[in-house]
Amino acid sequence: MLSERLLTILPELTFNEALEITKLQSVAGILPDDVSLVTKRPFRSPHHKASIISLLGGGQNPKPGEISLAHYGVLFLDELPEFSRSALESLRGPLEDAQITISRTNSTVTYPCNFIFMASMNPCPCGHLNDKKKACVCTPTQISNYKNKISGPILDRIDLHVEVERVDYKKLQSDEHLESSEQIRERVNRARKIQLERYESEGIISNSELSSVQIEKYCKLNDETKIFLENAFNVYGYSARTYSRILKIARTIADLEEKENIELQHVAEAIQYRTLDRSNANE
Amino acid sequence: MLSTTYSIALSGIEGSLVNVEVDVGNGLPSWDIVGLPDAVVRESKERVRTAIKNSDLTLPNKKIVVNLAPAHTKKEGAIFDLAIAIGILKNANVIQDQSLEEYIFIGELSLDGSINKVKGILVMCMAAKAFGKTKILVPYENRFEAGVVKDINVIPVKNLKEVVDLLNNKTKIEPFVSESINLKTVVDTKIDFSDVRGQENVKRALEIVAAGSHNCLLIGSPRFWKNHAFRKITYDFARTNI
Repeated sequence: MLSERLLTILPELTFNEALEITKLQSVAGILPDDVSLVTKRPFRSPHHKASIISLLGGGQNPKPGEISLAHYGVLFLDELPEFSRSALESLRGPLEDAQITISRTNSTVTYPCNFIFMASMNPCPCGHLNDKKKACVCTPTQISNYKNKISGPILDRIDLHVEVERVDYKKLQSDEHLESSEQIRERVNRARKIQLERYESEGIISNSELSSVQIEKYCKLNDETKIFLENAFNVYGYSARTYSRILKIARTIADLEEKENIELQHVAEAIQYRTLDRSNANE
Repeated sequence: MLSTTYSIALSGIEGSLVNVEVDVGNGLPSWDIVGLPDAVVRESKERVRTAIKNSDLTLPNKKIVVNLAPAHTKKEGAIFDLAIAIGILKNANVIQDQSLEEYIFIGELSLDGSINKVKGILVMCMAAKAFGKTKILVPYENRFEAGVVKDINVIPVKNLKEVVDLLNNKTKIEPFVSESINLKTVVDTKIDFSDVRGQENVKRALEIVAAGSHNCLLIGSPRFWKNHAFRKITYDFARTNI
């Protein structure tokens, strides 16, 4: 699965990260006997019928849930709109705080949950909206109902919206040499290192954690880019939240290219990853 | 007579020290466990009694009171079995007078006296070290996980008899140390981006996700992005038709 391959390009675990993942798996009782230390970032993909307690953790003596088991790894929610509304909303806090406090009569426990949140969904109930080869048979009401299953606050916490398109048969059969995960990971590692150095005094480690004050400090734009972004704003009707998302993504793209300042093409690419904001504006 | 052994209770991913106090005194033969035990801990008296009997050791035919201190925190699981059994055997002079101060005992007893694995051993070992203990007895099956913790002697034990012999200096068990793992060399080669054809925009997006630790939503029919499977199917299909 494409999403699972994200693991292969994430940076290697540090010892302390590995220790913390091992602790959580050990407490949850899912650590295999012959494993002394977990060496791979976790990839958790709970089914969409998952209950709030299985996601957040709980029980009489609270055990870690899926979000904590995905600590320092990836939490992947396939078919996002099929999850119950309350289960999705319960993720709001953990996504912001990177930890969850579970209170029960016997004890109150705090588990860490610093994960990359990844989800997938169909563009519409039939799955063919925006497909070049097949026509969508959904009514506009059906489409908007389907999209509305995911609330604004949850969407606000997602930085990148990526449209996945049909792959041509020719592409599938071609023999061109493709970049390996290792090559991609080298670029990722370099970008991470730049961020670590830049944010040394801020107490954060990546662009996704930037606060609005920090965005002003670290995501400065030149005049040309400002005008470009302003135009995009007027056309697509972006919100203030979207503005900061775009700048954060642009910052990461600039870091991948090892550029000190954010340039026009970085912002232009970042805007492409906000498709849902655009389509909502069109409706 | 009173004896005290030590064990660790779990609370989330923190461990706290538990004093397992065992008193064996005169009175009608009976068992009591106090100190907020849950059902599993309360049942431990049956496990401990039978395990001691089946290990050919003597259980004192007296009134036994076990206290898990601090008494106000809830104790969970079967991890205190070993500590309770050792406390009783110390009282019965099966274990000769040796200080048990530096030991932490962790393990669930089976009826035949063997020691079963428990959850959360890594957290307990780290806690034991933090409490300044020098030796921790862990179930044999948990040894790999426990051996990660440095600067504390992790002693893997298989059964109750072995523990008694160890404490009586009849046998010696070498502390277990897990091999150090170089995290940089661990790469999963089963899945790789080089076997995904097309979807360049998604690959690029995932690179950004990885680089900036961003959250991400993939929108599209699953048919398209589970394309790896698709590719394999077309390949097999083509072959069978030749």
